[in-house]
Amino acid sequence: MSRSAFLTPERWLPRSMASRVYLIILVGLMLAQGLSFALMFYERYDSATTTMLNTVEHEVGTSVAVLDRLPAAERADWLGRLQRDNYRFLLGQGQPGTPLATERSREVARRIEAEVGPDYHVQAETISMAPERYQVHFTLHDGSSLTLEVAPRGVPPVAQWLPIVLALQLVLLLACTWLAVRLVVRPLAQLARASEAMTPTADGPRMSEAGPVEVAQAAVAFNLMRERIARHLKERLHILASISHDLQTPITRMRLRAESLDEGEEREKILRDLHEMEHLVREGVAYARSAHGGAETPVRMDVKAFLESLVFDYQDVGKAVTLAESVGGATLVRAQALRRVLGNLIDNAVKYGGSAEVSSRRSEEGALCIAVCDRGPGIPEDQLDQVLQPFYRVEGSRNRDTGGAGLGLAIATQLTRAIGGSLQLSNRQGGGLAAIVTLP
Amino acid sequence: MNTDHIDNILVVDDDRDIRMGVVDYLRKNGLRASAAVDGRDMFAQLETSAFDLVVLDIMMPGDDGLVLCRTLRAGKHHALPILLLTARDDETDRIIGLEMGADDYVVKPFSPRELLARIKAVIRRTRMLPPNLRITETIDTVSFGRWRLDTTARHLLDESGTIVPLSGAEFRLLRVFLDHPQRVLSRDQLLNLTQGRDAELFDRSIDLLVSRLRTRLEDNAKDQSYIKTVRSEGYVFSMPISVHGDAA
Repeated sequence: MSRSAFLTPERWLPRSMASRVYLIILVGLMLAQGLSFALMFYERYDSATTTMLNTVEHEVGTSVAVLDRLPAAERADWLGRLQRDNYRFLLGQGQPGTPLATERSREVARRIEAEVGPDYHVQAETISMAPERYQVHFTLHDGSSLTLEVAPRGVPPVAQWLPIVLALQLVLLLACTWLAVRLVVRPLAQLARASEAMTPTADGPRMSEAGPVEVAQAAVAFNLMRERIARHLKERLHILASISHDLQTPITRMRLRAESLDEGEEREKILRDLHEMEHLVREGVAYARSAHGGAETPVRMDVKAFLESLVFDYQDVGKAVTLAESVGGATLVRAQALRRVLGNLIDNAVKYGGSAEVSSRRSEEGALCIAVCDRGPGIPEDQLDQVLQPFYRVEGSRNRDTGGAGLGLAIATQLTRAIGGSLQLSNRQGGGLAAIVTLP
Repeated sequence: MNTDHIDNILVVDDDRDIRMGVVDYLRKNGLRASAAVDGRDMFAQLETSAFDLVVLDIMMPGDDGLVLCRTLRAGKHHALPILLLTARDDETDRIIGLEMGADDYVVKPFSPRELLARIKAVIRRTRMLPPNLRITETIDTVSFGRWRLDTTARHLLDESGTIVPLSGAEFRLLRVFLDHPQRVLSRDQLLNLTQGRDAELFDRSIDLLVSRLRTRLEDNAKDQSYIKTVRSEGYVFSMPISVHGDAA
């Protein structure tokens, strides 16, 4: 796996578009929320520090001056009144310590020194680090020592409701995002469904052209495309049908003329050619029609009796067609189309395999599967799809000799699709071809 | 039936070559035949001579074959057998044609041999059955026991309305039985009447066909409530029948 492959989003993004958009917005929102929370926190911290520093320098300056003026005996009574949340005054030299450790404590000491002036011989030391405590020592004018012990408070804690509000905000945004993503993605799913359901004859439902402008435009464009395709196909099939149809009368005339000729080899040859043309014409008409097989009204029919009637019709004209096993019971089917599909498959099997075996079963999903199997030469694996195309002939096949137009399987495929089913060809173990029609 | 009688066929087609080709072919094969270019010509000829069957092209300018077919059936020539020439191998055309009262149809392009065989089969069938007994050709639905037979779509319907398809031979045999209820039919008679358009049935196949039809009707071989075997004579359809729909 190359590096670029690893970098492609497909490697790590979730598969659905909705999840992807949702994930991107989720990550973005979380980052934005985190950032604003951090900014707010920093701003609080900053303003708290500034406020404290200003308070400390002014108040401490005043307090030191007051204590300096008081007679030494009264000083102890005043200490309580001058104390604040984050500092207190002590008489005496205080505790020994290490040089100031934090930038903030140095800043505080510097400011205090600047406020009280050089007369007091200000000295500051850190007493402990956790929790942080430092002392600022003063020497008063009467020579006695005064110590200021500062225990800086952290940033005031944020209000308890703040994280809840933030979380609620996040949930609200996510809900809106989910709605928005759904709104954007749903038309895509509708478009996919509409494309899937599109039939060459455009007889399915049109895509709804309601909704936001962009979606409506896409739907209108899709419907137009669908109609263009249908018109195009219809035109082509119409040409095929017309040609085939109009050939019927001249061929009939030629047949009649040929029959009136004297018997002989020439006449037989003409009749054989006419027979081939006739076949082509019939199949051409059938192929042109097969796209409209879905127009037939479905009927409730006994599947087993249906397959038996089909097989017996072949047996009665001496063809080796048998019914192996069949599911019973009534099923909703488009009988004429299905009869034609199976007829073509059986004809094919008899033509190339000499015999055909029909069977039916229910798939696990409940779909009706009808198989037509032969023991003929089969079809090369790489041509299994191509033989379903109109006029395709397997290379080296005896198709031409046997008078086929190469439309039998194409008709079967198109007709099966028109009635909502699927046709699959596969080579059998031990030789031969299996054609399976699956009807939902 | 007069053995000297030679069947007289009227061929109605707007295409001159086909019309004359068919007439020539029929004459060559021992029949009498005349040609008509359109409906008016057809009715004029029907007035002056007697015909045994009309071959009618569906695709004609003016009144088409289906319209003419209906007009024939509604008028004094209602008993005249009609064979339609259809231009398409289409189930709907076939069903409409039969509903309009045609006796059979041939799809273009056809071989004259096939056409001749059909003409003969239709005439034979009409002769063998007195018109008043041809229930299945004039009635849409025939009921018997727990079954209904749709004579145009050619399938059975059970009580729940589920379609039970019949093979061509099964349908023809059942039709023969329903046309002759309560009458013993010999294997020969059955064979003759059941003869299909494509297949030549063999003698022994009547027994096989009866057994298939019994299976289809879920007729117990012991009870034989639908088709009874009459030893050394043949078969009889013993279930009472009733009819629905318009007599054409």
